[in-house]
Formats: sequence, C-alpha cells, structure tokens
Amino acid sequence: MPAPAPAPESPRAVANKSSKRTLLAAIKMALRIESSAVRHNTQTFNRNRYSATGALSDYDRLKDRARAIKERAIANIPELLATLEASVTQNGGHFFLAKDAAEATRYIADVCSRAGVRLVVKGKSMTSEEVGLNRVLQARGIEVAETDLAEFILQVADEQPSHIIAPAIHYSRERITALFKSRFKTDLPLDSGEELTRFAREHLRQKFLAADAGISGANLIAADSGSIVLVESEGNIRMTSLLPPLHIAIAGVEKVLPSRADFAPFLELLAASGTGQKLSSYTSIITPPLHAVPVLTNSDAAPRREFHLVLVDNGRMTMRQDPVLHEALYCIRCSACLNSCANFQTVGGHAFGGETYSGGIGGSWEAGTRSLDAARFNELCTGCSRCVSQCPVRIDVPFLNSTLRQRLNRRDAGKIAQLFSTVLADGSRDPVDAAPLQKLFFGRYDLFGKWGSLLAPLSNWLNAIPLTRSLMEKFVGLDRRRELPPFAKPTLVEAWRQPPASPALAAVEPPSTAVQPAARAVLFADIFTNYGSPSRGLATLKVFQSLGIDVVVSETCADGRAPLSQGLIAIAAEQARRTAELLRRYIKDDRDIVVIEPSVLAMFHLDYRRLLADAEGQLLFQILRDHSFDAMEYLWSFMQGVGLNPAMLFPASRHPLGTRLFYHSHCQQKTVGSALATEALLRAAGFDVATSRVECCGMAGSFGYKKEYYDLSMAVGQDLFQQVAEAEADGPRVLVATGTSCHEQLAAGLKRNVLYPTELLAALVPKPESQNRKPAASHA
Amino acid sequence: MPQSASMSLVDAFEKSATAAAATVERVARDPEQIAAAVARIAPAGPLAVAEPLYLPTKLFDACRHLAGAFDARSRKAMDDCAVGVTDAFAGVAHSGSICVCIDHDYAGYVSLLSRFHVAVLPAENIVERPGDLFRLDCLNGDGLRRNFVFITGPSATADMGPLVRGVHGPHRLHVIVV
Ligand code: SF4
Repeated sequence: MPAPAPAPESPRAVANKSSKRTLLAAIKMALRIESSAVRHNTQTFNRNRYSATGALSDYDRLKDRARAIKERAIANIPELLATLEASVTQNGGHFFLAKDAAEATRYIADVCSRAGVRLVVKGKSMTSEEVGLNRVLQARGIEVAETDLAEFILQVADEQPSHIIAPAIHYSRERITALFKSRFKTDLPLDSGEELTRFAREHLRQKFLAADAGISGANLIAADSGSIVLVESEGNIRMTSLLPPLHIAIAGVEKVLPSRADFAPFLELLAASGTGQKLSSYTSIITPPLHAVPVLTNSDAAPRREFHLVLVDNGRMTMRQDPVLHEALYCIRCSACLNSCANFQTVGGHAFGGETYSGGIGGSWEAGTRSLDAARFNELCTGCSRCVSQCPVRIDVPFLNSTLRQRLNRRDAGKIAQLFSTVLADGSRDPVDAAPLQKLFFGRYDLFGKWGSLLAPLSNWLNAIPLTRSLMEKFVGLDRRRELPPFAKPTLVEAWRQPPASPALAAVEPPSTAVQPAARAVLFADIFTNYGSPSRGLATLKVFQSLGIDVVVSETCADGRAPLSQGLIAIAAEQARRTAELLRRYIKDDRDIVVIEPSVLAMFHLDYRRLLADAEGQLLFQILRDHSFDAMEYLWSFMQGVGLNPAMLFPASRHPLGTRLFYHSHCQQKTVGSALATEALLRAAGFDVATSRVECCGMAGSFGYKKEYYDLSMAVGQDLFQQVAEAEADGPRVLVATGTSCHEQLAAGLKRNVLYPTELLAALVPKPESQNRKPAASHA
Repeated sequence: MPQSASMSLVDAFEKSATAAAATVERVARDPEQIAAAVARIAPAGPLAVAEPLYLPTKLFDACRHLAGAFDARSRKAMDDCAVGVTDAFAGVAHSGSICVCIDHDYAGYVSLLSRFHVAVLPAENIVERPGDLFRLDCLNGDGLRRNFVFITGPSATADMGPLVRGVHGPHRLHVIVV
C-alpha cells in the first residue's frame, strides 16, 4: 500500500528523502514557504565569503595546508584516536568512542543520569542532531535547552536544520515573530531582530544559570593535547563549556587532527568560507576540563569540573574505506558548498538535504551515516561545479554526487532500463552503469543528437509536435514546456567538410598561404555544438580565420559530460578516454584545443583527472588541460600576444546590434577561470558590458529539462532574469552567453535571442570583397 | 596583505577591530590612565575586574576603585555585571581579534557575562594572523598551551533576521591598547 502523502507544510514530514516523491514534495514546500528567506540569507553568506576569502592573501596556500592535514588525519584515524584517548585521560577528562548513534546517546544519557542532571544547555552540534541525542535525554526526564538562537527556533518549531551552520536559515524575521507569538503567548513586542534576540536571551539566560551540564560539539580536535576548537558568534557555546561543572563534547571521529599546531590554517578558512568573516566573534581553543573555579553553581561548595569527549563513528569508519566517499570526511562543515549553489540558494536544506545534513556535501554524509536511499536529494546537485573552487579542503563535491547517483541508478533501474543500459553502454563493459530511462536518455545525448541530425528535419518536426512531447515527457521525463535545441543539418563537422555549402564559412577570406600562421588550433566539435548549435562553431571559425589563425575542426566525439551528469560514470570514462586520445593527436601536431562549450572545457580541466585515473590517463589529462582553451580566452590571449587591438578589429561602435551587452558567463566556465577573458575582450572592443552575478542560470545542462525539476529550474532562473531587467533599466542590451544551457534558459525565460560571444564578433568581420587589410598574422 | 606591510601592527589591528564593531583606543601604560579610560567609556553599574595574566596586576589597581567595582564572585553578582575588565594576552592584526585566557581567575566569566567588556591589550603582543598563535616561537608558544578565546567584536547573531549585536555574550567590546 503506498504511504500517505506527507503534509507538504511540515519540514519534518519531508526530511527523509528515501523516496523521490518525498523529495518532490519537499521542493514544492520549500519553493512555496522557505525560498525567499533562504535566498536572501545564503546569497548574503555567498557575497561575504567572496570578499573574506579575497582578503586572504595566502588563501590557496591555506587550502593546500588544510587539505594535506586532513588527508593525513583521515588516513591515520585509528592511531590518532589512541593518542587522543591518552591525552584526554591524562588531562583528567573521559574519552568514549561510540560505534553508532545508540551507543553515543546511551553513554551521554548515563553520564547525565549519574551526575543527577536535570537541565542540559546545548550548543549547536550537527553530530548530536545526527544521533538524535535530544530525544534520548528527554526520554530520561532531562530537560534539554538548545541555546544557539537558530537551534532554539528549530526546537520551538520542531523542525530539522536547513543549513549546516545556520540551521534556521529558512526563517524570515516575520516568521520567527509569528512563531514566538503563538508558542510563548507573550504580549512583549517581538517585531524586530533586537526584540526577538532580547526575548530569547532572557529566556536562555535563566537556563544557562541553572544548567547542570553543557553539551557542545567540536569543530576540530587535537590528538596530541586533547584540545578542541569551538567556533560561534553568540557566546552560547562559551557559556555551555564554561558555566556548568559538567561539559560533554560530541563530535564525529573525522574531526581529530594530529596536533594543536594543525589548527592554524583552519580558523581563518572556516570563518571566511562560512559566514564570510575574518574570524567569528568567538573561537575558543580549550583543553578541557577547564580549571576556572565554577562560580555559578547552585550550591556553595564548588564541585569538581568533569569533561567527557564522545567521538562518534556511526558509519564514518566505513566511509573511510570507500574509494570515493572517504573524501567527504575531509569536510570541515563550513557551508561554502551550500551557499555557492544556485539550487541550494533557491530551496535550502529542507529540500536539498536530509534529516541532518544538507547541500552538495550533505548527500555523502547522509549516505555515510544513514543510508544510500536517504541521499536521494543529491539529484539537486547539477554538477555546476561552483562549489569546487570554494571548498577550503578542495573536496570535489559534484563527483561525490555523481558517484551517489551511479549507486542509486543501479538500485532504481527497472527491467527494461537494464536492457537499455546494456545496449547504451557505449563500449563500457562495466555493468555498474545500469540506470533508469531518463538518466540514459540525457546521458546518451550524443546518440540522440547523431540520429536527430541525420533524420532532420523530420526529427525536428517530430520533436515539435505535442504527441512526441507528451511521449517524451512520459517515458524519459523531458518536460514538455522545454524545447530541445533543434537538431542541426548540416552539423558543424559537415559544414566544415563542405565549406562552399556553408555561407558562414564562404564569407571568410582564407588566410594568405604566404604568411606563416601565428597560431595553430583545432576547434573541438563537441556534441552539443555539433548537433545542437553549429552556428557557434562556424562563427568562431570565421573570427579565428579573419585573424589568420590556422584552425581546423576535429571530428565529433562524445566527451563524457552528459553521462557524467547522470551518474553514468563508466560510460563517461570510456568517452573521456576516446576524446582525450583523439585530441592528443592534434596536440602532437602542435595545435591548441579550442572549446566552444564550457561544460566540455571543464571536463578537460577538472573531471578528466577523475575519469582518466590510471597513470596513462593522468598524462592524457595533464596534456589536455594544459592545451585546451575557451574560444574567447584563446582569442584574447592570441590578440594580446601579437599586439592586436580589439577596438580596431572588432569596433563595437560599428556593430549592427549596438554596443550595449548583457553577458552571462557559464557556471563551469567561472570555475575553470576562463570567464573573465570574454568580458575583457568585449570591453576592449568598446562594448558596454553588464554582467550577471548569479552562480548558475538554473538550467545546468539537462537539469532544467527534467519534468520534475522544471519549476525549480525556472525559480533559480528568476535571479538572472531580474538582473537582466535591472541592467536594461536604461535601455535594451544584446544578450550574450557562453553556455548552451544558459542560452536555452535565457531564451525560455525572456523569450529573446541570445548570442555566443564569437557570433557577436563575427558580425564585425569584414566581407572578403571589402577586406583590404592584410591578414592579421603578418603583424606578428 | 599589502597595506598591513606598510601599516604598523597596531594600526592594522585598530582598523580590523573597528571593522568588527569593537572600539579601540590607545592609552599610556599607567593605572590611573587606564582607569580613567574605563570610566570614560563604560556605563555606570556593577564592574568586575579580573586578575590579569600578562600585565602587572597593579596596572588594574585604579580600576578596582572605580564606582561600581565589586569583588563578590557570587552567581547573582556575576550575572548582573555591567562592565567586565580583563587583560588580553594577544591581539591579531588581520582579524582585529583579541585573545583572552578564559581559565585564569575570573577572566572567562567576566569577558562573557558582562554587557560591556573592556580588554587591556599590550601593544607588543599584537601578531599578524590568527595562525601565528599556534607557533612555538610566537609569544613563548602560549597560544599552544593556554585555554583561550579569540574574541572578534561583540557577540552577534543573524539568526533572528537582521544582524543583531549583543546576544549571550557582551553587547560591546572596547579594547585599550597599552
Ligand atoms: S564540502 Fe567543503 S565547502 Fe562543503 S561544507 Fe565541507 S568543507 Fe565546506
């Protein structure tokens, strides 16, 4: 019998994402109720993080140090735990290693019972959420007061955290006022942040002064000394660890570092990456038990201080053995990967999260500490990669999610899908890539593109009729409101091979053979450009040739991006190797690889490191990474190198569409650092360039095409559409975007034409008959 | 940080601490002058002075005679404390933080429970970065030994919507650099 649909208003009812239905209900709930507060708060964190990390002159070095320390620590957990136990015991504290949630909670409850504890004050601790500590203590008749204001709100509302450092990030001030008014039946004015804070402070002050025990988490732990780091801004954790004579700290085993000196790189990284501060208001470095006489006890006799450090395994030691998920143990819970994620910014952790952990990294944590099924919300990771460069310990969060997806795919693949999986394996003999039909459809876009282009215009006609659309929606989950880009005829490669047939190419004067070309390049005919939008490639050829760059077009080859995004990792790896080998031949022939589609460039720069794992593959990865460039980036560095002035060659003032642009760079293009060149070149040519400030357009490859995520995708897009509107307050602008999916999203949201940057420049390339200047290369 | 290289550590500290919503003033290392500075800035009400750890205790003598100063370490008195005076054993230029040892005398309580925290910081103990505290050759390696807290501005929260300063910890932080 199907379970009754959960009440969509209650976050608790949709906390466990084991079923897709719950995930979709959670998205609906979050979009309706929580989105505006989440958006505002995460985007504030996000902006602050950029400025705080920008102020760290040694940011990259700190990240390298932090990563190295974590790698060493996780590799040595067993030894570190033994050292830590000795340190804590020698300091006069107690050490307990709990193998699971039940053991951890029982131990803590026993300690409290033995000490006659009636009231516990708690500082924020995700680990205590994970093990469900409050319930166990309350069942023993112990009152638990959450003292972090966000946790306090959640305790009053009975909700799970929606963010790993700001657990009530989904609450607006107005909603908190309404909540407190109804729960506390008070007439006090609670209509401002100050009033609400004062109210909570007074309420909790009484608890602090009366508490028998304090329970905190620990951000970092040093094995050599038994010292712990506690980061906070409100002062409640200092209260918790100082006031009551009994202090219990609970944390996962992954928090242990070899030594106290190892804390050094983490303090600034945590604060900068999380709240975007130089340091949070309070960063305590203590080696409990403390020695300060407890003055605020209920009795006159000062009792001895007692300290317990409870470390929790609860699946972590198994994660540690996992070839991929072990990387999640490096996480220091800073929340940068949540705040830099466009989907997270739009729905928050009640949708993009499980019972405890949320965001991009949350899937791995739920899978590790609960179950693979509970990690189903990893679907909301689109692989946009914006978090990759933001993570202070350099965790490849999207790859962790691709791996979770691969494991869930196998579980979800029905009989028919299994059959298709074998047929569509693309040379990969690895049976791990069995997947549901929708995943196979989007993962093998290369096949659909190929057949679609072969059969065009019939395929395009079919594509446009309602019957096909509804069939596609039913069988592969392609939302009928989305339009797939029409299949191209001729494709880019076909057009290149028969230049006379292509008016775009015919218009270009071939470079003079007398001139030694200043640069040799190959334009990679990626499947998206080749089958979907060859005009972007043709315009690039035209611009390159006008500058005398010797450029050819490669054959088309699926690069692995599409299957990787669907968790079809074995297929992606197979395609990656084929592409890398193809392109290596061009590199050997002294050609640079020029890439149109940024998601493909990101494969070469980031993902191939994973997909080409063996020694030979690593070599291929490095060669390809060092020789591949975004088309505009290549153009800009070529022009700078040979001293060509864009204002002369592509004078914006002569552009038929005018000089005013709105440029949106692609998420993965930003991550690999190739976005700024486009802006620079366009500005140098004299264009007035307004830019988007969003992390991702919301389409994110195939994500926005999927029926179940259409609404979310469009909600994410609202920020971008809004920014276009703001930039056009003083007049219209030409829309320019580098990514194919950004293109589709802008076109869908604004019903406007969108140009690829080289398409914009191509309009300024002189016609052969009017071209009387010498080929540019002769200037070199 | 290019500016801090040309700026003295004290200047850089003052700039960052001010940005973190603390107030900073420089005062001569003299008991009367320190007490006068506290009297000038602190509101009236019960005032607690914690035994300093680094600076000589007589530097705080005059403070102990200010109006409102009390010595009772009872729970009630501590809770009602309006002003708390402590020393800070280190300052951090980049973040504008001060490091207060919370395990020495009543400094932990005084710096946390009072509404207004005044910290007296020896100028020569200002280091550049928080990470410096974890080096053996910095301030005798005290950052590797002490139970302490980096305090960066007053306590604050954004959990109730807008940013609010003054939550469970002090609502204001004033640093007297001597
Ligand atoms: S994965 Fe990285 S960015 Fe995300 S919370 Fe963990 S440490 Fe921060």
